[in-house]
Amino acid sequence: MISNVICAKSLFCALLCALLFTTVQARAEAEFLVDGSAGFVVSSIRYALAADAEENAGCPEGMTTGYADKSEVFIVHDGLQQRDGESEDEHLKRLFGVAFGAESVRNLCMNPELGREDPGFRVVTGENVPVFGIDMDGATSSVDGPAVQDACPHDDFAGMNGESGIDNQYYRVVGCSAQYQSTGLSNSFELEMLSGSWGMLITLDGVDDIANDDEVQVGIFASADPIQLSPNREPLPYATYALHQDPRFQARTTGRISGGVLTTDPVDVRIEWVVNSIRLDRPLDDARLHMILDDEGVMDGYLAGYTNVEDLYNYNYSFRNGTDGTGNLAPLRLRAGSAIGKAFVLGYTCEGAYQALYEFADADPDPATGRCRSISTQYQISALPAFVVNEATASSNAELDAAGFGRTGVYDARPASEAEGR
Amino acid sequence: MFVKPVGTFARYVMGAALALWLIAATSAGASNAAPQLLAEPQSSGGPAMLRRLTEAQYRATIADVFGPDIPIPARFERALRAEGLIAMGTSEAGLSAFAMEQYNTAASSIAAVVLSAEQRQRFVPCAPVVAEAFNAHCARKFVQRYGARLYRRTLEAGEVGGLLDVARSAHARLNDFYAALEFTLVGMLVAPDFLLRIEQVQGQPAEAGHSRLDIFTRATRLSYFLTGSAPDEELLQAAADGSLDAHEELARQVDRLMSGPRYTGAVREFFTDMLRFDLFDDLAKDPLIYPAFNPTVAADAQEQTLRTITDHLLVNEGDYRELFTTRAAPLTRSLGIVYRQPVPMRNDWQEGEFSARSGRAGIQSHVSFLALHSHPGRSSPTLRGKAIREVFLCQHMPDPPVDVDFTGINDDTSTARPTARDRLRAHATETQCKGCHWLMDPAGLALEHYDGLGTFRTRENGAAIDVSGALDSREFVAAAGLGEALSEHPQATSCLVRRMYRFATGRAELPGEHAYIEYLNATFAAAGYRVPALMRAIALSDAFYRVVPNADKSIAVGHDEDATGDSS
Repeated sequence: MISNVICAKSLFCALLCALLFTTVQARAEAEFLVDGSAGFVVSSIRYALAADAEENAGCPEGMTTGYADKSEVFIVHDGLQQRDGESEDEHLKRLFGVAFGAESVRNLCMNPELGREDPGFRVVTGENVPVFGIDMDGATSSVDGPAVQDACPHDDFAGMNGESGIDNQYYRVVGCSAQYQSTGLSNSFELEMLSGSWGMLITLDGVDDIANDDEVQVGIFASADPIQLSPNREPLPYATYALHQDPRFQARTTGRISGGVLTTDPVDVRIEWVVNSIRLDRPLDDARLHMILDDEGVMDGYLAGYTNVEDLYNYNYSFRNGTDGTGNLAPLRLRAGSAIGKAFVLGYTCEGAYQALYEFADADPDPATGRCRSISTQYQISALPAFVVNEATASSNAELDAAGFGRTGVYDARPASEAEGR
Repeated sequence: MFVKPVGTFARYVMGAALALWLIAATSAGASNAAPQLLAEPQSSGGPAMLRRLTEAQYRATIADVFGPDIPIPARFERALRAEGLIAMGTSEAGLSAFAMEQYNTAASSIAAVVLSAEQRQRFVPCAPVVAEAFNAHCARKFVQRYGARLYRRTLEAGEVGGLLDVARSAHARLNDFYAALEFTLVGMLVAPDFLLRIEQVQGQPAEAGHSRLDIFTRATRLSYFLTGSAPDEELLQAAADGSLDAHEELARQVDRLMSGPRYTGAVREFFTDMLRFDLFDDLAKDPLIYPAFNPTVAADAQEQTLRTITDHLLVNEGDYRELFTTRAAPLTRSLGIVYRQPVPMRNDWQEGEFSARSGRAGIQSHVSFLALHSHPGRSSPTLRGKAIREVFLCQHMPDPPVDVDFTGINDDTSTARPTARDRLRAHATETQCKGCHWLMDPAGLALEHYDGLGTFRTRENGAAIDVSGALDSREFVAAAGLGEALSEHPQATSCLVRRMYRFATGRAELPGEHAYIEYLNATFAAAGYRVPALMRAIALSDAFYRVVPNADKSIAVGHDEDATGDSS
């Protein structure tokens, strides 16, 4: 009996040892980890949302609608309404013709605080809607009875696997917009990343074991180099990228790996973002990673945090503070045209979006007014192994820039002071 | 009928004896200068050749004569490779109608730019009083100046007169002096005297039964060998005034050309040819299997190897054999993805070394070799082994039988035979396959840590890859072991000597030149296997310019030897 037990134990131990050896061998061969350090390039990024509204019944009041008459985007729009017999195209041409012809014609996309309440902007109100994302505050919050000392009461969601306390109020704002459904255009902003306009890098240092490590150093950076793609437009592993040299785009924090899952402590992150050649920042405060790391160095998971509503509105809706390639404010007609065009194409009102963002903001209360100023925002991201280097690298256009052939605005030749009228 | 080369063993005995004598006779064992006391043996010389300019030579010649800014918008005909070298094919290939059409297109474009209103002052040494008038004196100067550069010799009076007649006739129709010169220049650029290197024999035999190439042909042979381009004005002048006949002047010209900016280009042209980089034009990789492959990688891979070679051989004056063991790794960002090494430098080449983990050593572990000698979707120990023998050892490997069954070897997803070694083991048991695979596969299997693109791996289909290999009687492990074996293989250096001489002359050596080839082998050895020393020895040798009257090269060429697996 005893011998049988020993034998069984020995067999078990042998199997365990073999399994461990195999695992250790696989770990030891992890090509992406060199001297305890690893780099990654984000190869895919999109908002963490949920199933389409049709499937999860998240929008019982219907879907968001945009301006009934497109002229309504202008604060003063008498005479700008669509005329009888005027086609949509003709109307749009006329609107844009007059919109930028006089300083007095200001629009709601650049000035959403001046808009009236928009009852057509619908948000997720359905019960028990599972969403993607993680619990950031460690609590399951509710507007009816805060589970934590919370100055910004909100209803948390349940996770896709039944987890509770998922902080993802941005989904509540956009979940009933047609273009944020799986077939819509709004969640495909990674296209600009894949075309090389911006990029995001992650580094790990001090890694002793890629499956379990109590403390690792983590960097989250904007990339100074365009992402490298295959002929089939798939991101390539093991390319070299320099991290952005502006400290605002460099975030460093600590984290840990447990059971192959990397989690990090909150840190303010900022990456770049481009819309219609308008350069913007995409900040994410108190951001943290929750990523599954496999033996090949591929990471999948969440980048979750809180976005200041004004910042979010600026980079996603108005582009008010967007700049050109030289760092100057981008031409007004480009920023305003892009903001208005986006609202028209995607079917929402700018003021409705602005109001909803504040309505569901769940963090950062203003000490003076108590108004919450940040909203939980989560991204689903994937990352591939990469070499991340911290070196100032010259652009291939550096010599041209030095010779005075830098880019100039091509959309608006007017002086900035004149062009600034909203 | 082919003349068989002298037996391998006998040649090495002779070579070794010569090398020993050289080492004893010279105080400097490793020098780029040819040993002074070595007497060049009698050589039969070979036939005068008719060689077509390669595309690289055509472009370099036009750039030298008219300037590098002159566009050449032509798609050149695919070059013919013979006996392992395009340089050999240039003396065997004919001119197709397509080729002439492309030459004519290039000539028209070049002439149009050269004689354009914006450029003509650069090139026409004089001007007519009015453009409509024909200025015979000016036309003569133009024809003589560029005729000499393009035809690589002084034009005879009758040739100048003929070209002037062409110009005059063109002027009569076009009523424009520059248009007439343009028409004449087009004619010169499509003339056989430009497109072909027509070697002429000197009228006065140097000794009974032997002649030399005439002095302009010698200058041309020398120039294309050492610069990849036509003789410059100084070399042409040395030919025109006869001073090139003197050995001292020849040595001065050789040293001048080898220290000039074009010399590196000539070395690159040789190795581009030897390493068969023209095959990159047809190289395809399955984008799903090798997504990192693209035209930039293909171009950078070639450049990486050529940089490694020229840095080692010319800048560092290194030993040729060390090319098989060097870990130098100039990288670009694109190549870094394939090699899986960081490349901080964004828009330029980053100097460095291959990571120790990858086990890479030598140019045979470069992507340029590994990717070129693989299939579109998988590696190939057989193709790599074949290339090692053919490219680096000058051995000839026969094509596979027409009825061979590739089914097993092509199934690279087999779980029963997960690695290429497993699949080849089964394949090579077939009697009809065994003989050649026995020679090719063992060397190629040492490179199996690199996939069909050249990226490092340790497993195939989940199974650990065994990279033990063998070359002839020597066994080794992995790319570094193969590199050591190649660097110490006696045929590696003699192959380089033979290739270099063939590159220089455009033909295989004749039986009467074997003593001379052994002299080159010994010279190469005595110089520490420095390639510039070898090239200098060839350029200064009598044999390089010697002609056997009435030799029929078509029946006298030596061929790469059949591989025997015996390096002794």
